[in-house]
Formats: sequence, structure tokens, C-alpha cells
Amino acid sequence: MGREKEKEKLSEKALNLLRSRLSDPNFIFRPLSDSPDSNYSKLKFIISTSVTEACNNSILLLGPRGSGKVAVLELVLSDLLQQYPEAISVIRLNGLLHSDDNCALKEIARQLCMEHQLLFSKVASFDDNSQFMIAMLRECGLAHKTIIFVLDEFDFFAQGKQRLLYSLLDAMQSVNSQAVVIGVSCRLDVDQLLEKRVRSRFSHRKLLFLSPSKEDTERFIEHILSLPMDSSLPHNYTAEFNGRLKKLLSDERFKELIDTYLSFNFTIGHLVRFLFQAVSYMDLSAGFLSLGNFKTALSSNQRQPKLECIRDCSVLELYMMVCMKRLEVKEQASYNFYSVMTEYKSIHDSFQTSDYYAANVCLRAFEHLLQCQLISFIDNKGHNQSVEFRPVKLLISSAELHQGLKSYQQCPAILLKLMDR
Amino acid sequence: MPTETPRKQFQSPKKPKQSPNNVKSQSSTPSIHLSPQTPQLPLRRSSRRSLQLFTSKTVDEMLDLSTPRKALEALDGIGKCSGNNRKGSSVRTPRTLKCKFNEEDREIPEMGKVGEGNGEVSPEALESKKRKNGLSEEGSVKMGKSPKCKLNEDLGKLGEGNGDVVSPEKRKKGLRNEESVKTRKSLRCKLSEEEMEIPDLGKLGDATFFPVSPQALESKKRKKGGEKRAVTRAMATRSLKKVNKEEKKGRKRVYYKKVVYDGGEFEVGDDVYVKRREDASSDDEVPEMEECRVCFKVGRGVMIECDDCLGGFHLKCLTPPLKEVPDGDWVCGFCQARKLGKDVEFPKPPEGKKRVRTLREKLLASDLWAARIESLWKEVDGSYWFRGRWYIIPEETASGRQPHNLKRELYRTNDFADIEMESIIRQCDVMSPKEYAKANDQGDDVFLCEYEYDIQWHSFKRLAEIDNDEDGECANGDEDWNSCKEDDSDTDEDMEYEEENERNAHARPSTTHQLAANSRKGRFFGIRKVGTKMIPEHVRCHKQTELERAKATLLLATLPKSLPCRNKEMEEITTFVKGAICDDQCLGRCLYIHGVPGTGKTMSVLAVMRNIKSEVDAGSIRPYCFVEVNGLKLAAPENIYTVIYEALTGHRVSWKKALQLLNERFSDGKKIAKGDDRPCILLIDELDLLVTRNQSVLYNILDWPTKPHSKLIVIGIANTMDLPEKLLPRISSRMGIQRLCFGPYNYQQLQEIISSRLKGIDAFEKQAVEFASRKVAAISGDARRALEICRRAAEIADYNMKNQISSVNSSTVKDVVTMADVDAAIQEMFQAPHVQVMKSCSKLSKIFLTAMVYELYKTGMGETTFEKLAMTCSCLCTSNGEAFPGWDTLLKVGCKLGECRIILCEAGDRHRVQKLQLNFPSDDVAFALKDSKDLPWLAKYL
Repeated sequence: MGREKEKEKLSEKALNLLRSRLSDPNFIFRPLSDSPDSNYSKLKFIISTSVTEACNNSILLLGPRGSGKVAVLELVLSDLLQQYPEAISVIRLNGLLHSDDNCALKEIARQLCMEHQLLFSKVASFDDNSQFMIAMLRECGLAHKTIIFVLDEFDFFAQGKQRLLYSLLDAMQSVNSQAVVIGVSCRLDVDQLLEKRVRSRFSHRKLLFLSPSKEDTERFIEHILSLPMDSSLPHNYTAEFNGRLKKLLSDERFKELIDTYLSFNFTIGHLVRFLFQAVSYMDLSAGFLSLGNFKTALSSNQRQPKLECIRDCSVLELYMMVCMKRLEVKEQASYNFYSVMTEYKSIHDSFQTSDYYAANVCLRAFEHLLQCQLISFIDNKGHNQSVEFRPVKLLISSAELHQGLKSYQQCPAILLKLMDR
Repeated sequence: MPTETPRKQFQSPKKPKQSPNNVKSQSSTPSIHLSPQTPQLPLRRSSRRSLQLFTSKTVDEMLDLSTPRKALEALDGIGKCSGNNRKGSSVRTPRTLKCKFNEEDREIPEMGKVGEGNGEVSPEALESKKRKNGLSEEGSVKMGKSPKCKLNEDLGKLGEGNGDVVSPEKRKKGLRNEESVKTRKSLRCKLSEEEMEIPDLGKLGDATFFPVSPQALESKKRKKGGEKRAVTRAMATRSLKKVNKEEKKGRKRVYYKKVVYDGGEFEVGDDVYVKRREDASSDDEVPEMEECRVCFKVGRGVMIECDDCLGGFHLKCLTPPLKEVPDGDWVCGFCQARKLGKDVEFPKPPEGKKRVRTLREKLLASDLWAARIESLWKEVDGSYWFRGRWYIIPEETASGRQPHNLKRELYRTNDFADIEMESIIRQCDVMSPKEYAKANDQGDDVFLCEYEYDIQWHSFKRLAEIDNDEDGECANGDEDWNSCKEDDSDTDEDMEYEEENERNAHARPSTTHQLAANSRKGRFFGIRKVGTKMIPEHVRCHKQTELERAKATLLLATLPKSLPCRNKEMEEITTFVKGAICDDQCLGRCLYIHGVPGTGKTMSVLAVMRNIKSEVDAGSIRPYCFVEVNGLKLAAPENIYTVIYEALTGHRVSWKKALQLLNERFSDGKKIAKGDDRPCILLIDELDLLVTRNQSVLYNILDWPTKPHSKLIVIGIANTMDLPEKLLPRISSRMGIQRLCFGPYNYQQLQEIISSRLKGIDAFEKQAVEFASRKVAAISGDARRALEICRRAAEIADYNMKNQISSVNSSTVKDVVTMADVDAAIQEMFQAPHVQVMKSCSKLSKIFLTAMVYELYKTGMGETTFEKLAMTCSCLCTSNGEAFPGWDTLLKVGCKLGECRIILCEAGDRHRVQKLQLNFPSDDVAFALKDSKDLPWLAKYL
């Protein structure tokens, strides 16, 4: 008994270690950063040369979500802050929060004030703030300090008149300043969004964050999941854990599993989420990762929300959807509650089904379908109209509906027949 | 090691050490052995000195102003025994002051005020006499023109000495002559306050001290003085203003630009050695030339300076003797030996002869001070004073000497003091790094100054490169100095405004700390705080490689010396502006400049304005005012009125009020402020941003030049060629007459621009530059883009080089930018990265994209819905043995692609009816996916 408890404790410790690693971007991206071709070293070179050579740069970090743009950037920034502790100040903005030029400038001024222990006034106007920013750029340039502007969700800054970007980039090339503007975006065409005079001032360094290759992924999984030999965990446990992991990794079934998972989305962030889930399923009494854990994680990941919705529907709701489908087959482009009701009645009349409900009950079912987003209104017009008169559209395809009906346990046989006809 | 590297960058002045030409003869150095004989001092002085006055400026001055301060200081000196002498006006030791004070002490009860300097004359007497003189001689004395005015220092004739002090009436004339009149403010009423503050500040100084050098004690004293000054100075001056207002009478100070004093010529802006204290200077005579460290003799042949210990050596005294001064750095044998860890003994001077230290050595040992003359004036009592800005040596800063400091490095401080000219020893040369690198044999008194040191925050800041600019920069630090300048326009109309200012100023000291940095009421509060605590090592200890130099000169921020390829346009602008200024009427002058971004529009105009400004300075063109506005930097188009009005008058008002006032000025010809009759040139960048719905802003601005007497010239810059045509006819008729087009650069021009910047730097292959410029010329003709490509190429080359050096330990790598680098840069800049992303995206995404292309080919319609696409997808999957993942997963894949904008799609909740479209040509997709390894069957459908 006591031994088992101890073992459980041990495996919990290992689990915690793995989890903390998986949620630490620093650990995840560090091994991918040492080669000279990596984005990490390229980015670090660009920023550190702008610190040491006192020049201005503007960089775009592009790549799909989850490819580690911000994580790598933070890694670089933390390294550089260690290297040049006094010479760097980082201003962070997010396009979703500060897409308005006025509030973005205010935020810049606020962070600059924070950074240099100055007093910040909330009521300062746009002009005041932009002049303050330019003055600060100049002063920091004279004091050998580099200001790094990190603009996350850069595409939101590239909307409207782009005053912020213009004044930032214009200041960078007219004033004797040291500043780096780093735009982070998942939109690949973000530089096309810039207005031409802003684009002309932008220095167009682009770093593309791509998904890792297959071999890299395998190495990466091993790197994350294997326990370190020098941790507080007992040596023989670690050795056994790693040995089993190695066996697991070379398992063909495991490779296939990972492949299926990654065939949908091939980014590191996505993979890490999956691994976290799998690790969490680890059996504490056994204390080792098994193929089963990964399988559970995969199945919990591959969910089909619409099909599950159908599974939760009532029989009446199924009837209504089948009616809509039939209406569509009849090439009736738009239909509302009443046209569905007529179809429903006609089915009932011709087949004499046992499931016939009154109109108000059907309306309830109809509303529920709307809430589940299995159907939706065609347009946003006619808000003042009552629900039953507005045209709607079925949001799931007939194939899905068919599949859903098949998997529905108490599905009346007539419904499947109706689908085909 | 670190001491060695910096020298590579700044070649220290190289030595044939010759005696500086301009050094005054030693005998004439004023040695003020003050003490009991003080009263006789003026007499002695008069016998030796002649004065030459070049330009003079008059100023009100309170006679009694500095006197009590002196006394107080003396008190302070006694009480605190601190070397307070750097503070305020006197550079005398407490000892002297004490005796003086004792002497004067007796007189205080009777006269109430203490006579300045010469205790025999009561200030009242002096003052009244002077006033009389000033009035009576008013007609006969020509201000500032008397080339040589022998000063007879006989006290009886002191009035005559003040003859060149001009009375108020005269002063007004002086104003017309555009001589700046500076108002000196009296210090009196704040003195008590100053005294009160001293104790705790003194403590503060003690607490924050960290001297490590052997001069610990010395610098401590000095700092304490400095610290106190720093805080109280501003307050003191502020209170002065008030006193001054009330008692503005005929007492004046005379300001000069240049003074010949004691045989030396001193000008504003000169750097001088300042005596630290009496006993230090009693340390016998100062050698004009340095002695050889070996033979201890002066002269006789060429000397060489060691770059480490700065000692001088005769070439022939060295072992082995040198024939001529070697190039590069040279370190003497002693220093070399010391570096190797040996004990070195410098040759001892011959018996009976003490080694005489030069002024430079004394300064660097902080036995002397150096200061920069900011202004020169003659006090009412005839003594000559200057306002000095202190230089300090690295040891005196909070961080001490840093390893990469040069031997001859000084820092300029933001610490000012009024110093009597008595204490000047002679001139020295404090140079910027550029000058310093060139200065090879300019003697021993050459110093380097690159940074300004803030004595309050103990931080360093690089000096702004253009010295004129620096006034603006330090504006917030020294209000008193600034206020003197503002007072130039001390006319009656401005009085009210000024007084208001003063009230504000008076209230300021208590609230200064509460004022926010970004609420710009004319300045940014606390921005001085910004500065480095240490000068970063990488700035100094790094020798730039060719590639790094190339990168630096290709920066957009570096202003080129000349603008190639825009001569014609610049000429046109010049003739336009000149014609407009010189024309008395300035009727309807408006120039519209257009061209694509990066063709040098703004830069050319600014260059023209710089040229014209230099002509104005030379006096060949009448002065004008120049206002620059950028449409994109305005929060709203209407704000332009505020900006223009503020630029013209310095007052900030709301835009409605500003519009009204500007209308009055330009349309009705009413004068708002002095100097309004000057023509005004208004440069509006990004003019198209000023277009409002009813276009009233543009109309107003373009209407003013047509008014008689407006003297307004508008230069508008925008990108579109047909902006005037897009506007209302009444605006286009006013603007569209004179236009200037900046066409895109062709490749030869771009090549010339780049190579003119790269002149003297061998970092680029010739074809590489041509390739870049041809590419840019073909796409946009944007010079910025071309420069950026080259810079990026240099960066790539640099990156590769550094990586290779770190991996392989060979220096075979060529540090030249090749075609390949330029190509890489162009690829990065111009190529959309979608192909790469498509190549590396997930399996399902690839199938999805293929299905889209397939669908496109099948239907010929660009747009498709998710339902159709999913059907195609499932068909593709089943026929090629792939598992179909389900609709919901497929929807997610589509949305992911939409996020990257590889496809354009509606929001995901549209599900089946979601509309999708490829964002890139289908050929790109085909190219990217054709040979994907994991899904070879895709090629069939592409």
C-alpha cells in the first residue's frame, strides 16, 4: 500500500514536471533556436545590431497561429535584456486592444513613462503624446537606448489612416533615434495592407515562421517528454520512463496517431496542446505514458460539434431538419417556419407518422434549432419581424444530416427513408 | 584590453607635441593672491589690463544683487567648510572670502549693503554715480562700437568705465538693431531660501557619494557644492525675475560676445581652464610646454605623446630613439612594461628640480577645472564675469572612470556658474569626437567631449550632433538661461504675458514633481531623467567593419551631405522660394509638389530651406519664418491652425481661435506679434490628409496667400498628381498653378544615390548595387526601398560572415556584399511568403487547397461555397485512399487558411454556406503543391 502511494507520488511529480515544461514557451523553443538558420538567431542578430550599431529597423514576423512568433520574440527579448540590461526598453501593444491610433499613442506614452519613471497624464492629447514620443525617441537615441515596439496583431494597426505607424516610422528615419518596430501577424499579406507612404518607410525585414519538418517534430516530442536525468526523481524511474517512451515513439501506431493529428494543423502550438492533453491522461498508478493516453487525447480532439448537436436533438427537431432538406432538394431556395410546417404536414399526411405535434410545439423546436446554430437566418434584415416569418437556411449538409440520423439511436426509420426520397 | 580598443576608433591627437600657438605667456596669468590686500586689487589690475569690446549688449542689473550673496557664501564657507566655491559666483576659497567678509563686515551696519569687490565704495554711491553718468553720457557713447575702450580703473573715474553702459532709451534702439538684450535677474530674495535648503541637501550629497579615486575628498566637496546648486539654482533665478520687474531701473550689465582680457581673447563658446583655488595655483608657474619625461627639459626637438599615460617624450630621448612620429598608436616603454606586470620606475627629475605639471595634467587630476563660456559680461562695478558651463573629468562622475573612457575625455555638465574672469587661466580645446580624431598636433590642451553628464540624475547622454540644436534639448534643464533669451522681446506688449509666465514659474517649483511628462505645456517634464548610467561598452570598444560602416551610411536616418539627381527640382524650388521672399508683395504664391513616396520631395524642400537659411545668416536675403506641418501627424485637419499659430507666435490656442487670429493676420494684415512683417513659408507635407468634407481647411490655407500683405507662401506636398483636380474648383484654381513633379528615380539615379552614400567604403560589388537599383527602378523607383534593400543585403552578408567566423575559425570569408545577398534581400522584401507557407502547411490544408483549385478549374468560378468544396474534398480523399476527416475538421482547416489570408473566406459560423475564394493565383498553389512528398497524388488535380 505504502509503496503504491509512493509510486503515485513519484509519477505525480513527473507529471507536474512535464506539464510545467509544456506550458513554458522558453523550454519549448530553446532547442529550436541554436542553428544559424533559425528565426531565433536571425531575429536576435537584427535586434542586437540595432542596439549596438544604433540603427532603426522594422521587422515583420509572419506565420500561422501557433507557430511560435511571439514565443521566439520573447525569448530573444529576454536574452537581449540580459545582455544589455540598460539599453533596451520594450513597448508592447496589441492590435486588438490598441487599434485606435489615439489610444495606441496614449499607451505608448504610458509605457514610456513607466519605463523611465516619469509621470504620465491621462488627459494628454494626441499631439502631446506624439510629440512626447518623438522627444523620447530622440532622448533615448542620445542616451544609447533602444526602444523596441512590439505590435502584436499588426494587421489591426494597418487599418484606417495608419497615423500611428506613419508617425512612428517617420520619426525613426528623421530623428536620430534607435528604435525597432516589430510587427507580429498571422496574415501573410500584411505588408500589402500598409498605405504606400507607410510602406515606403517600412524597412521590410520579414521573418517567416513555418511548421517544423517531420523529423524535427519527432525529435521535439522526445525532447519534451523525456524526463531529465539530473532531476530530483529517482534515477531508475527516470531511466525506465525514458526507455518506455523511446519504445512508444518508435511504435508505428504512435507515429500514425501523431500523423493523423498533425494532418489537420501542423504547428508547434497545436502539437504542444495535444501533448499536454495526452500527458494529463497519464495513469498515475502505472506512472508511465502509454499509447492509450495519446489515443484518448486524439479522440477528445477530433470532435465533430455539428454531429454531436444532432445527437442531442429531439425527434421533432430531426423531422424539421429533414423537411428543410427536402425543401432544398425541391429547389426551394428560401423557406421560413411556415413553409417548413407545410412540408411537415404533408409528410404526416402521406405517411401517417406517429410524431405529429401542434404548431406551437414545432415553433419551440424551430427556435431550439436556431439556438444550436443548426439553422440560421439568411440575412440580418427584418429584425422586427417575428421569428417564424424570417427566411432561414439549414447549416449542415445533407451528408452530415444523414450521418447524424444514422448515429441517432431512436431515429424513426421513416426519417431515413424520407432523406433519400 | 579595453583601454586599448577605444583608441582605435578615436585616434588620439598625435603628437609632434608642439607648444600651442595661442597660449598666452605665463607671466600674464592672473594670479589673484587675494586676502588682505583685496582693496588694492583693482588698481593692480588696471595697470595690466586692456579691454577690447566688440559687441555689447545692455542689461538691467541690480547693483546690490550679487553682494549679499557673496557675504552669505562667505558665511556658508565658514560654516560648512565645504568647497562651496564652485557654486554661484565666486571661485575663491573660503579662506579669502572669510577675510573679505570680515573686512566688509564692519561696513554692513552702516550701509546696509555690502560693497562688491572693493569695499570702499558704498553701493549707493556707486549706483547713483553710474546712473548719472549713464544718462549724461548717453549721447556721446556709442554702443558696442567703440573698438577699444581703455579702462581706467581709478575708482574716482569708475563712472567712465561704465560709460558704455547704455541707458534704457538706448537699449530700445539696441533692440531694433536686433541685438539681443538679455536680462539678468537679481538673486536677492531667494537667498534665504537657498540657505535653508543647504543643510539637508548637503546631507543628500554625502549620502549619494561614491568616489573611489584618490581625490575622493576633493570631489566630495565639489559635488556637494554642485548638488546644492543644481537644486537651488532654478529657484533662485525664478525669484529674480520678480524682483527685477519691480526695480527695473537704469542699472545694467553689459554683455559681450568677445572680450580681450589679460592678453587673451575670450569668446562665447570658448572653453577655458578655470582656477580651482588659490593655493593650487600657487603651485608655481604653469609650464607652457610639457617637459620630456626622460630628460626633463622643454623644447629642443619633436616630442611624442604616449597614448596610455599621456606623457611626453623627446624622440631622441627614447630607447631606441625614433626618427619620426609613427603612425597609429604609440605607447611608451614604461607603460608597455607596466602592462606586462613589471614594476616600472619613471626616471626621477634631477635634484632640485620639481617636475612641473602642465595644465592638462592638473585638470585631469582635478586640480583645475574647465568650463565653457556661455556668456560674457561686465558687472556694474567694472569687473568682468562669465557664465560657465562646467566640464568634469570621468573620475568625478557617479560611475567613476569607465574602462573605455579615453584619457583625455571630459563630460559637459548641465551645471552652470557665474565666474569672474580673473580665474580663467587660458583657453583649452574641447572637441567633438570628429574634430578630435582630426586634431593631430594642436598641443596639449586638447580634450574630447562626447557626452553630457547630468549632475542630478548621474546619467550620460550623447551630445546632439548639431550644436545649435542643443539649446532646445537642454531647454528644460536650465530655465534661467532660457528665460534670458526669451526676454529678448521684452517690450511692453509682452509684459503681461511674461508676468503671467512668472507667476506660473513661481508656482512651479513645488509642483514640478507632480507634472506629467507627456502633458506638454511647452516642455516635457522630467525627460532629463533619460540617460545611461554608464556609457555602454559596445559604443566605444568596437571597431566598425566595412560592412557595418556601409550599413550605417545606408540608414534612412543618416542625412546625406548632398542630394544627387534632384538638382533641377531643387533649383526650381529655390527660385520659387527666393522669388517669393524677395518679392515685396508675395502675392498668391503656392507650389504643389507631387511624386510617389521615396522620391525625395520633403528632403529636397528641406535642403533648399537649409541653403536659404544659410544665405539669410550670411545676410544676403531677408529673414523669413518657416513652418513645417505634416498632415498625417495632425489629429484632425483643423488642428493645422493651432499648429501654425503656435509656430508663429508660440502661443497655444484652440483651432477656432487660431483660425480667427490667423485670418486677422493674413487677410486683414493685422500684426499679432513682433516680427510679423517677415514673410512666412508654410510647408505642408501629406497635403491630401487635409481634405475635409467641405474642404474648408485647404481653402482657408490656400486663400491666405492671395491676400495682399499676407506674405504667406505655401508649399504643399502630396503623392497624387491630380489632387488639385479632385478638389473644388475654387481650391484648384488657387493651388494648381505652379506644380513640380518628382518622378520616380530610374536605375542610374538610384545607383548614383547608393554609390554616393557608399563612397569610400569598399563593401559592395558593383553589380550588386546595380542589380538592386534596377530591380527597384522597375518596381517603384523608391529610393528608400533601394537603400533598404542594400542595407538588408549588407545585413545578410554580415550575418553570414559572423556565423561562418564563429563556426569555422578561418578568415577566408570575404566581407563583400554579393549578388546573392542582394537577391536574398529582394526576395525577402518583394516576394509574398505564401508559397513557402503553402509548401509547409498540413496535409489537410494541402488537400483543401487542391480541392479549391480543382473546383475553380471545374466551374470556372472564383467563388465557391464550403458545401461544394467539402464534397470535392471527400471525393479526392476517397479516391486516393485518404481518410476523410469530417466536415467540422475541414471547416476548421478552411478557417485557418483564411486567417493567413491564403484564401478569403467568410466567418466560420456560416458553415455550409460559407463563401470561399483563393487569395493568390491558382498557379501559385499549383507550383507550391506540385511536388509535395507526402501527397504525390495532388499533382493530378492541379
